Amino acid sequence: MAKPQEPFFVGWGKVPKALRVFLASCAALLVVAFGALAYATSATQTDTGSGAIMGRTEVIGILQEKPYPVLHVIQSRHFEPGDSILLSGNGKSGAIDQAAGLDGKVVQANGFRLDRGDLHGMQLRNGQRGLKLAADQNQTLDIPVKSLGRWRLQGEVCDGKCLVGAMRPGNGLAHRACANLCLLGDVAPVFVSAGQVDGSAFFLMSNPEGEPVTQEVLKYTAVLVEVEGEVERRGGVLVFKVDPETFRVAP
Amino acid sequence: MSVKYTPVQWNKNKWGYDAVLIALVVLYITVFIEVGTPAADLARPLDNAILRMRAFGTCALWMLTFILCIGPLARLDKRFLPVLYNRRHFGVLTAVVAFTHAMYVFNWYFSFTAQTTLAAMLASTNGFGQILGFPIEILGLVSLILLGILAATSHDFWLTFLSAPVWKSLHLLIYPAYALVVAHVSLGYFQDSANPVFGVLFVGSALGVAVLHLLALLKERKVNDAATEWVEACKPGDIQDKRAAIVTLSKDERVAIFRTGSSFSAVSNACAHQGGPLGEGKIVYGCVTCPWHGFSYKARNGRSPAPFTEMIPTYNMKLEDGTLYIDRKANQPGTDVEPIIYEVENDG
Repeated sequence: MAKPQEPFFVGWGKVPKALRVFLASCAALLVVAFGALAYATSATQTDTGSGAIMGRTEVIGILQEKPYPVLHVIQSRHFEPGDSILLSGNGKSGAIDQAAGLDGKVVQANGFRLDRGDLHGMQLRNGQRGLKLAADQNQTLDIPVKSLGRWRLQGEVCDGKCLVGAMRPGNGLAHRACANLCLLGDVAPVFVSAGQVDGSAFFLMSNPEGEPVTQEVLKYTAVLVEVEGEVERRGGVLVFKVDPETFRVAP
Repeated sequence: MSVKYTPVQWNKNKWGYDAVLIALVVLYITVFIEVGTPAADLARPLDNAILRMRAFGTCALWMLTFILCIGPLARLDKRFLPVLYNRRHFGVLTAVVAFTHAMYVFNWYFSFTAQTTLAAMLASTNGFGQILGFPIEILGLVSLILLGILAATSHDFWLTFLSAPVWKSLHLLIYPAYALVVAHVSLGYFQDSANPVFGVLFVGSALGVAVLHLLALLKERKVNDAATEWVEACKPGDIQDKRAAIVTLSKDERVAIFRTGSSFSAVSNACAHQGGPLGEGKIVYGCVTCPWHGFSYKARNGRSPAPFTEMIPTYNMKLEDGTLYIDRKANQPGTDVEPIIYEVENDG
């Protein structure tokens, strides 16, 4: 007695009855699998942190030009006096050009507020609408500067715009090329440390002389690295004066 | 099969197949964006562009994974052959989904600068000498180009123009494309994901693809490499009516012996269309019919019925002591060979 014949499917013909149930089951299983995969993949996404664009703001403060433009707040509706704000321009650009020649001056800044916990940022409007000398140059603010010693820190080099809230998420390996573009556009590099120094895990980066360090950090963005340098508090921001030669990918 | 080229030779089965595919993509993207992400533990919502690039990117990853499982599954269990029938459409849709993912990446990560997208990509790309931090966009881009080539040549015009062996070799690019996607994800999103669920699914799916291919390979390993001219094949009664027995002559050559009642003929196991396994096919309307796309040939001469013009090689056979033997030397495609006649006893 020969074995019963297996059903045979021909694309241009009718699906054999014996195969219909099997194929319908496969289709149903695929639907369930894709639904489950979509849910499992999306519901387990990693939190991107609290950084976000918080709306328009205006700030009067003292500008610090180096290593990257930072505004120390004198008065603002949204920031506290003494807060320090990382400044950036529109798109993937920093505020170095806008801040040129304004170091130590009282300025009026206008733009969008970026906020990520104790890390503050601001995306300036273009040109003088975004940053200009304040009418009253007699306003003052005590900006304490304090050396916190030499540290070897482990963490991630990010760009100081996306990280603060311009993008969600604004860090990580998938965001690396974007971070590099921002840094190449003169956005300030920010080191996010695994541990804290003087109560903060965020550090504005510079070279040992306090100058911009963009080219030296590009290779290490978004990767867990270790690097050494002096840490200095300037008002509300910590500056990490890294020694580029001490960079190494963390084990 | 066709005597002229049309963009798509639609039939009811293809409509059904494509409807399921489109439903899968719509379901995946909808669940990802509207159901799963709101349930995730996120302090603030993701950027819409990033959410969509993740949704389309992971959808393309799973689609590519399933596509690569179809081939070995069909080798291991013939009931999966109908899923293989319209696999090209699965591939083309995957390329479209992957392209959508790439557009979100280009228009988000490489925009908002004074440079063009390409210039921005080149400017920001570094780290070729390192594993972590390797420019994953390049891996994804090369994979997308390969998928684009495969999608663009997923038509019988290219099959005929390039010839089946060249076309098949070209479409093996699906494997480097998948390897690049695995690297793209491994060095990017996989590293960023703190929750292990995606990692388990991702690694498990890649292992699943590898294991299925290994099992299919082991199943086909039996090779008759005796140096004799005549190769012992099987007993006539071993072959079901309107079905075939497959005999492996060498690593690259298989023969299908078809039976139609008491008539036995041997043809190449490779369909002229895409190299489909004819021996897993059936005699339908008097013709050997390929299980992949239904291409048909007459068993005694390996020729498609008029007006079609496809041809496959035939083989000489002999019957000795109740056993069928095949001549190793194939005949020219389309060569007529008198069938062996043998009345099978006790046949159902």
